[in-house]
Amino acid sequence: MIARGFRSVGWVAGVAATALGCYMVNLKVAAERVALEKVETRIVIAQRDIRLLQTEIGTRGRLAQLEKWNVKVLALSAPQANQFMEGSFQLATLMRPEKKLDPAAPVVLASAPTPAPVRPRMDSDGAPTQTTAASAPSDLMHVASLKVREAEPAPKVASTLKKKAVEKPVERKSAGVEPPTKAAKPAKDSKEAAAPSKSKPNPKPKLGPALASAAKVKPALTSAAKVKPALASAAKPKSKEATAKQ
Amino acid sequence: MNAPTPALVARPERLRLVGHRQQILAIMHQRLMFGMLLYAGIVAVIVLRLLYLAAFGDHAGRKTLVTALVPERGDIVDREGQPLARTIDAWTIALHPSKVIGDRLELAAKLAVLMPERDEVAWLQLLRSDKSFIYLRRRSGPRLVEAVNSLGEPGLALSREPDRLYPQTDLAAHVLGFTDIDGHGAAGMERAFDEQLSNPATRGQPLVLSISSRVQQALEHELLAAKTTFSAIGAAGIIMDIHTGEIMAMTSLPQLNPNIAGNMDPEARFNRATLGVWELGSTFKPFTVAMALDTGDVKGMGQMYPCPDALRVYGRSITDTHPFGRACSVAEIMQESSNIGTAQIAAQVGPAAQRAFLEKMGFLKPVAVELKERGRPLAPRGQWTPLDTMTIGFGHSLAVTPLHLASGYATLFNGGVYRPATLRKVGPGHSAGKGTRVFSEETSYKMRSLLRLVVTKGTGRKADAKGYRVGGKTGTAEKVVGGRYSKAGIVVTSFAGVFPMDEPRYAMVVMLDEPKGTAETFGFRTAGWNAAPMFGKIVSRIAPMLGVRPDLKREPNMAEVLPYVHEKK
Repeated sequence: MIARGFRSVGWVAGVAATALGCYMVNLKVAAERVALEKVETRIVIAQRDIRLLQTEIGTRGRLAQLEKWNVKVLALSAPQANQFMEGSFQLATLMRPEKKLDPAAPVVLASAPTPAPVRPRMDSDGAPTQTTAASAPSDLMHVASLKVREAEPAPKVASTLKKKAVEKPVERKSAGVEPPTKAAKPAKDSKEAAAPSKSKPNPKPKLGPALASAAKVKPALTSAAKVKPALASAAKPKSKEATAKQ
Repeated sequence: MNAPTPALVARPERLRLVGHRQQILAIMHQRLMFGMLLYAGIVAVIVLRLLYLAAFGDHAGRKTLVTALVPERGDIVDREGQPLARTIDAWTIALHPSKVIGDRLELAAKLAVLMPERDEVAWLQLLRSDKSFIYLRRRSGPRLVEAVNSLGEPGLALSREPDRLYPQTDLAAHVLGFTDIDGHGAAGMERAFDEQLSNPATRGQPLVLSISSRVQQALEHELLAAKTTFSAIGAAGIIMDIHTGEIMAMTSLPQLNPNIAGNMDPEARFNRATLGVWELGSTFKPFTVAMALDTGDVKGMGQMYPCPDALRVYGRSITDTHPFGRACSVAEIMQESSNIGTAQIAAQVGPAAQRAFLEKMGFLKPVAVELKERGRPLAPRGQWTPLDTMTIGFGHSLAVTPLHLASGYATLFNGGVYRPATLRKVGPGHSAGKGTRVFSEETSYKMRSLLRLVVTKGTGRKADAKGYRVGGKTGTAEKVVGGRYSKAGIVVTSFAGVFPMDEPRYAMVVMLDEPKGTAETFGFRTAGWNAAPMFGKIVSRIAPMLGVRPDLKREPNMAEVLPYVHEKK
């Protein structure tokens, strides 16, 4: 009976709660919508700012300004017809192929220029006592390799090296293989050969008696060439070798 | 018993009263009900409205038109999308003299420091004036705005207003035009497309021009350099894609800065490329030869004409700058730009045919382009006499704009089809203009070697940009001053050409107004000495940008003309 009396109250409460719930949902949605609108507004404002900044950058870097720098500072001019390439082939013809360093290649032996085709004099510790070696480093750069001497010293190098090879297997691999004829031939410029010797200054066993002087006298060539480890190790055994030999 | 007692029976008036009362009650109820319904209705309406607003309504802080960025006026961009004209919000400083509360004397001193365009006295006058509103600065810099703001004077109003900005300043100024103070187009494309640029429905999309900024810059720079070198009073240049009629670059000098167009010299605002008409001289000769080729009056490049030192016709004497004094072939006439030879060819073609050709190329009406600044060509009135035909044949008596000429060259070399020039990028949404055939394809082909000959061996040698197969024609015309040809040697020089000649793609016309001789040109002021080298320089700069590769091994078929050229031994 009492329940029946409160039924209407229950109904009212229920309806009110539902209505309130709906309204809350509504409010929530409205709040979300406002937040969304705020984000949209911010996006538009950001876009406007971007546009403004773009315009400013464009105005500051306008073509007339670039042209002015071009003419007054960089002095660039239009490319000539012969500066255009037909394709990669024509581009390739403009340069010689780069010499690759082959780990299996023979030891590079550089030498100091000698006034006469006679065998260069060597001093025992490889110190730059030779007058020829003391000449300008640039001379050394151009007059390179083994053309001074014949195949004769090379076998010696090889043989001495073979003795050494017991303690340094790496060196043996690169240096030991080299046949005497090959050793006489290497066309590597002294630039390449000498640079590694400088770049690794630690006194390791060296080979190639003539190299000693060349390696010592060339402080200017440090930066000349990229050092490949294989070559470094191959070229390293120089001055010590010279000492050992004499 | 029968007689009713007065107490028992209601008196009739009383009975009437009861009925009346009930009636009144009923009316009252009715009225109350009506009132209640009315109020309930109003409340219901309010509640429903509230509910509706709660569900679908906008909140009070909602801004309109923020979901998309639509500029106040549409952008103008070049063919690569580089903005050439934009509307930005600029700071405006204004003055309300009546609202000034501080010491006016002091304020005037401060303002004179900040904005030195007026002195202290003028500022004070302005502050004391009885006007309600005065613009002090439009588009002022942020530093100035900050400084003015820090004065703390309520009479000085700072606000942001949309303002038209041309980021590239002078670049393509005559194409773009400028806007007036209300933001409506006053010249150029701004004026021609004012409706599209200001309509809210269309202004969101930028207006894409056919102009290429980089090409335009190269053209402007080289023209300006030449104008300075040769002390010319003006110059114009046009580069056109001959197949679509798109104008890749168009300029007129002296330069115009559209950002401050109102302060510029009227001379600078004048568009020489489309509004000015000039007798462009020998650059017309290729048209005459092409007409004759087309009508069959000239059978081949080897056809001979007598070329005496001077030709007397109809009481006039026609002379050449490089007189032959012998018979010469069509190839030689073109190579050495012989007026005498061309006049004879034109006479063969005849006035009617010549007029028809010129009509078809649009040379007798204002040039077909979107701009509103278009000059009307000046041609002899009425029926053309044979003498008119002859003089028009070598580019006199008919004054046209440089754009006419560029259009004509495009027609001549694109296979003979005339297409109206356009400043809008051809692509989706804008197709190339409808073409009408003027010359036969064969004529168009034959003209290639002829104009290439002018550049390799003739008067236009200095225009030869190595590898780009330039072909073209020089033109030097005495300027008409006060209705007569100038005797003081005031000339208009031009060079009209096409490159690459073996497969023509771009036509270019450059013109110098009143160039002077210099030491380098040995005092000469003819086109071969000023317009031609400028043409060559421009081509070597712009051709790589336009995708034309230089090739020293390619040439048009010169076997068409070379056999008919007398080589000096």
